[in-house]
Amino acid sequence: MSDSAAKTERPKRDRGPFPRKGFQILGLGLQDFIRYFFGGNAGLAIVVLIFICLFLAKEAIFFFPQHHHEYRIYRQAGQEYVDLIGKEIDTHTRLGSTVNIAYLAEVNESSTEEDQLVNALLQVKTAVENRTERLGERLGDARESMEDLPEEIAKEADPAKKAEMEKKLAEARKLEQELAPEWKSEAEAALDDPTIWDLDRNPVRLNTEEKVKIREAVLMAEPAREQDHPYFVALRESSAAKKEKARAKYETFKATIDELRNAVKPVRDLHGELRDVAMENRRVLDKFETAPARKKALIEGAEATKDPEEKARKLKMAEAVVMDTPDYEALNKPIYDSVPKYEEIEPTFVSGVTKAWEALPDPKTLETKSGREKLRAAKASYEDFLKSAENSSEKIPKWRHDKPMSVLKTVLAFFFGKDWITNSSWHEFYGLLPLFSGSLLISLIAIVVSVPFSVAAAVYVNQLARSQEQNFIKPALEFIQAIPSIVLGFFGILVLGTALRNLSHVEWLSWVPGFPMSERLNMLTAGLLLAFMAVPTIFTLAEDALNNVPRSFSEASFALGASKLQTIFKVVMPTAISGIVAAVLLGFGRIIGETMVVLLVAGNKIQIPDFTAGIGVFTQPAHTMTGIIAQELGEVEQGSLHWRALFMVGMVLFCISLLINYFAQRILKKFHHAH
Amino acid sequence: MRVVPALSRNLRELRMVDEKQTRSLSKGLSLKSKLGYSMKKTATLLAALAIAMATTQAEDKIVIKGSDTLGAKMVPQQAEAYKAAGNDVSFEIAAEGSSTAFTNLLAGTAEIGMSSREVKSSEVDEFTAKGMELKEWVAGYDMIGVIVNENNGVKNLTLEQIEKIFTGDITDWSEVGGAAGEISVYTRNTSSGTYKSFQEMAMDKRDYSPSSQKMAGNEQIAAEVAKNPNGIGYVGLAYIENDGIKAVDVDGVECVAKNAKDYPISRSLHFFTIKGKLSPAAEKFLTWATTDPAGTEIVEKVGFIKP
Repeated sequence: MSDSAAKTERPKRDRGPFPRKGFQILGLGLQDFIRYFFGGNAGLAIVVLIFICLFLAKEAIFFFPQHHHEYRIYRQAGQEYVDLIGKEIDTHTRLGSTVNIAYLAEVNESSTEEDQLVNALLQVKTAVENRTERLGERLGDARESMEDLPEEIAKEADPAKKAEMEKKLAEARKLEQELAPEWKSEAEAALDDPTIWDLDRNPVRLNTEEKVKIREAVLMAEPAREQDHPYFVALRESSAAKKEKARAKYETFKATIDELRNAVKPVRDLHGELRDVAMENRRVLDKFETAPARKKALIEGAEATKDPEEKARKLKMAEAVVMDTPDYEALNKPIYDSVPKYEEIEPTFVSGVTKAWEALPDPKTLETKSGREKLRAAKASYEDFLKSAENSSEKIPKWRHDKPMSVLKTVLAFFFGKDWITNSSWHEFYGLLPLFSGSLLISLIAIVVSVPFSVAAAVYVNQLARSQEQNFIKPALEFIQAIPSIVLGFFGILVLGTALRNLSHVEWLSWVPGFPMSERLNMLTAGLLLAFMAVPTIFTLAEDALNNVPRSFSEASFALGASKLQTIFKVVMPTAISGIVAAVLLGFGRIIGETMVVLLVAGNKIQIPDFTAGIGVFTQPAHTMTGIIAQELGEVEQGSLHWRALFMVGMVLFCISLLINYFAQRILKKFHHAH
Repeated sequence: MRVVPALSRNLRELRMVDEKQTRSLSKGLSLKSKLGYSMKKTATLLAALAIAMATTQAEDKIVIKGSDTLGAKMVPQQAEAYKAAGNDVSFEIAAEGSSTAFTNLLAGTAEIGMSSREVKSSEVDEFTAKGMELKEWVAGYDMIGVIVNENNGVKNLTLEQIEKIFTGDITDWSEVGGAAGEISVYTRNTSSGTYKSFQEMAMDKRDYSPSSQKMAGNEQIAAEVAKNPNGIGYVGLAYIENDGIKAVDVDGVECVAKNAKDYPISRSLHFFTIKGKLSPAAEKFLTWATTDPAGTEIVEKVGFIKP
């Protein structure tokens, strides 16, 4: 290692002005041992690093052949064919669902006022029930036994048991008398608490009269003796009547939707049949793939056992393992046979949907805003459907199970695949894109938030702060680094996430894109926490960069009559800019590699964020590359495709970090050459 | 178990001594005396360690690993009760998902595995390769409750609706008779036995919707659904009483223990051991846990159904 190189450079032992003293082994003194100790440590670290890189690369690279192989099985089993039809059905389902939601909005929102009040009652009632739970349960039990016991007593013949029951009944009565007022006062106390009126779902402003009515209704709903408040009974009736009227009004709309949704039926039936065939094919193929391993396992097992009978049994089982290549043609026969049928039903399916689509009402004629929006949004789903139908009908007649799978395609399927579906009963997809986009967006939020804070802090501390301030601010900011990320994660879930979500539901903030947020675990929450974590890294490095600007620069600037701020913005910052950029890059590297916080707080939704939401995309949940490794690696079988896929994700992360560091170093070097 | 803290304390001290050594080395201060001192101390600690190890062996230790569904509440409580009943054993329980039951049994790092799903054929192969055979013990039955926020007006869902919600065919509460609102689906992560069981029992083996959110455990799902008025998720029976959530009826059957037979989403829970490798202490515990009334009572107490 590096030792041998060091040895040759070292002057000979006996020479030099300081002759060696003290204990020596093999002519080596204590100083030499310490020296070798340090040198050895440094060398060992490098060797370990090389081993890690090699290990990562080895596991990751074998991912591609295995992935390719797996895709080939997917094709050979006919699953690819089935998924072609499946995609068409999926887009159709989405179209039908969107249109249906528009219709339901029209119907339901015809009675919004009533429904909101009924809902408010339900919420307040649940909250009161929760607070009076224990008392309510006891009271309910007492009342139930008061109701049931008399009947049982009448039936009971044994006088001793009868007396006992009578006693129980008396006790229950007494208890009920005691508990009923207690329950009432507790429920009233709960209703007096203003927080109980904070309605979470469909927030409505209740006026005083409505509050009084709800209060009455809650108090009427006594445990085991629930009574409906006439006001709410009337409300429910009026709501039902209004809905009925709306339904009558939109009868043709509904009929069109049903037509649109039912058009899929023959195709769906065919898909269901073929899905079973392909699943069985896949089982056969998987069995064939694992047959050699099973045989080997049985033989090894037989060798390991000492019992001759057991050994014979295992060897026999090994013998019985079928290793013949499956007849792919025969397996896929039902699938090929289905092509004419598909070609027959598909055009009617598409034309049926098109006809129904054209018969749908114009979005403008709908009364509610959400109904109109949904119906407009359905247009995109309709186009999606047409596109996928065209794609399927084009590909299906040409589909062959033995068409070779292109290697490039399976490689791209990893880097640009849109699905990451693991532990599936159908086929596992390893597409990096949802994870990559999640990691990238979260890091973007974190960088955008943390850079202004940390660079401004660095400028202030380096240029403007008094020395007492410096002595306080620097260690305080650097202390952030000492907070374990799991602690921040819990803080994120329990405090930040909840607070942000509540804030987003404040009415006058609803103009903010992405508000109100439906999830408390999302990219914004994770990004803000990561921004906080990145502050010390960026701050320290940016401060160093500012510190490295020679004093003569600012002195010259002052001498020319520039003010302090002019000097900072026109002289110091431009000189240090490359260092600051490097600081930001390294901060980015810190963020993208962070695991615990994103795993806990990002919401773990493995889907490419919906960019049609504009800036609001940041309030959606997402999964990340680091998160997926942490979540899934502990459980997967070593050497399986899933395992290697996770290593490959790790490899991509490693490369990203490497690139970032490389650029940061280059920028820094440039900055050093500048002066 | 009693000995374990002492042991870890010793280890910690050892580590501290190590740190001291490095520090003094780097400073290069009075090296010899320090070294001598800490060598002596290390020796005494090693002796202490050996004694501690010897005492652990006096007591039987049962290592149980696997499913979070079993290992979160039920098995630890059974272990406590078993010890309280006067059995001189100690337990080490780790609950990190059903798959870990088999990996640990295979590696010999656990004596008993807990699983909320059946064993896969690939896992059986691995055991056969090492000349081992698995033995299955039924620990109880579990029902998976489908939970929604307590303020959600929806009280009943059909199995088909549940399949469509979790696969993403239904995306809005209004489609199943609730107030309008986009459904947020919370599921366990892919390593969980419940993830797969639910897929098989309630989703016709179809894949989860990509918009579902993968949570680490039952508790997290319950917490998110309690906070999100449009949330839906699934949890073991033991968790449906958590605050802020309620279990919906499935096909009109209420999710309570007495309906175990009619409820469409229920499964059996297992212990796994390796034939011929079970220590008498562990076997005694398993027999107690699966047959003794005191053991099965706990199964019911934590919300499962007796074997």
